[in-house]
Amino acid sequence: MKPIMLHGHERSITQIKYSREGDLIFSCAKDSTPNVWFSLNGERLGSYRGHNGAVWCIDVDWDTQNILTGSADNTCRLWNCEKGTQLVSIPTSTAVRTNGFSYSGQLIMFSTDTTMGHQCAIYIYDIRDHSQIKNGKPARLIEVNESKVTCGIWGPYDEYLITGHENGELSHFDVKTGEQVLCVSDHKKTINDIQGSRDQTMVVTASKDNTAKLFDSSSLQHMKTFRTERPVNSASLSSLKEHVVLGGGQEAMEVTTTSARVGKFDARFYHMIFEEEFARVKGHFGPINSVAFHPDGKSFSSGGEDGYYSGVRSKVIMSSWNSAE
Amino acid sequence: MDDLKSVGMSWAEQVEQEDEIVPEVGAEDESLVDEKNGIKKIFEVKWNEEEGKEVKVIKSYRVETKRLTKSIARRKQWKKFGSAENDPPGPNPANTIISEEIPMTFVNNKEAQVETDEDPLQKLKNQKLVSCRICKGDHWTTRCPYKDTLQPLQENLKEGEKKPEASAGGTGTGSAVSKTGKYVPPSLRDGATKGRGESMNNSKRDEFATIRVTNLSEDTRESDLQELFRPFGTIHRIYLAKDKNTGQSKGFAFINFHRREDAARAIAGVSGYGYDHLILNVEWAKPSGTS
Repeated sequence: MKPIMLHGHERSITQIKYSREGDLIFSCAKDSTPNVWFSLNGERLGSYRGHNGAVWCIDVDWDTQNILTGSADNTCRLWNCEKGTQLVSIPTSTAVRTNGFSYSGQLIMFSTDTTMGHQCAIYIYDIRDHSQIKNGKPARLIEVNESKVTCGIWGPYDEYLITGHENGELSHFDVKTGEQVLCVSDHKKTINDIQGSRDQTMVVTASKDNTAKLFDSSSLQHMKTFRTERPVNSASLSSLKEHVVLGGGQEAMEVTTTSARVGKFDARFYHMIFEEEFARVKGHFGPINSVAFHPDGKSFSSGGEDGYYSGVRSKVIMSSWNSAE
Repeated sequence: MDDLKSVGMSWAEQVEQEDEIVPEVGAEDESLVDEKNGIKKIFEVKWNEEEGKEVKVIKSYRVETKRLTKSIARRKQWKKFGSAENDPPGPNPANTIISEEIPMTFVNNKEAQVETDEDPLQKLKNQKLVSCRICKGDHWTTRCPYKDTLQPLQENLKEGEKKPEASAGGTGTGSAVSKTGKYVPPSLRDGATKGRGESMNNSKRDEFATIRVTNLSEDTRESDLQELFRPFGTIHRIYLAKDKNTGQSKGFAFINFHRREDAARAIAGVSGYGYDHLILNVEWAKPSGTS
């Protein structure tokens, strides 16, 4: 296969997401401008200019109207997807680590970092109610007193949030009450990424403890483990087959200190049920920070650290990929 | 424009072809659409600076029709914005690059094997770092379990007429010096009486029990050979010919066994053995000097 390399960022990619129909790819990086691309031919549609810091997270709503970005410049911004204009900027006390639209696209959530004396918190706003943002009063404010939230998604029916924490815990936060209703600690180290299956019944977590794990969304029951020998930065589930793609590699700061071969930065494919690796795809020269399956399951994208040390701009590798099984 | 026909064959992808041709005025950006095959050709006349000639560039595209949902089709019409505002229609080659062919490598559960191969510490574990002078075991001479029994025996055998006090000090040369702290000229040292140095004997024995392994793969390392030949007997030395610059194996190696029988067994056992997709060729090494 011939992947398309998308060079649109000057620094390493932090997250990539497909729109619901899979025709657009959204990418954000440690530079301040998230980009949007057509997935079919890799043409860049545009970029969302306005942030002043690394953009950690990006999300798109169900009907591809709005884009939500969270940045280290202490803002979470809402954009018009088509025009690239900023609709709203919500100031926060610390960097925004993770965000997400609810399934309906009417609620947004984002979490902030534990830094500068501020405690990690999850904010939930109703974007239909403009007074909430104007007055800085979120519909729900959940203070997280323990380990900070590193990643999170909305659970099915927007009833709860599924969050991954720095100490490896995986939790449920009830949206209505703001209480932590469930907490499991199957992972030993930071959970870097969490992604749901198409039908939202399962989530896959990627952790620094060299594993990715599959959980049941509602009970957080641990079901499968996919083992590697490097920290896993991102994992994504295929909607077509029982496949999981894992992206990782050692951290950027450790790359120079270890004798890493290029092969370590492969995107690795595991069978979801047998937990066995069956294929890998090379292409990156640095750790992969984010992977995403196309909603149709026939291609995937990966975004990495490449640009950071080689001087070349970072890339999202997009490839049409047809399973051999 | 007789070159049109030649373009028709490359069908699947965009083809850029440069041809010397006398340009016609007004031929720029002319396009030709072949409805039947869905191929669109665009002609463009350019001035090639290097060659000082006018060149005609023919780009041919295959036009594909895809059915999409309405919402996707609508989004296809969106205008570019932000950093891509001034981009021409279609992918901007500065941002969108078709990379080289990257194969999907299928893995057959050889994971564990690969891992041990790549961890340098793991490799050292298999390698014999120390060799006991008494029993050739995998430990320091001073820690040898046979130190008290074997060592005096060996020394007695070697230098029967020597006084027992001297031999109790160790295997000879260095220890006598350390004991008294005085410099002892080589001619007066323990080994001097034997006429020839121990090492000389060794090298002779080595040539006897040396085998030559050829047709090794480039990735072979000394530890691999160690692993391969160890079952046949204790190995004295492994010499793997390596490229000076790349450090890769040149494809042959010499292995010195302690005993000739071991070497013989190794030849019988490994010759013709498939290793790393190559068939190994093992034979007696010719003594150095003869060609």
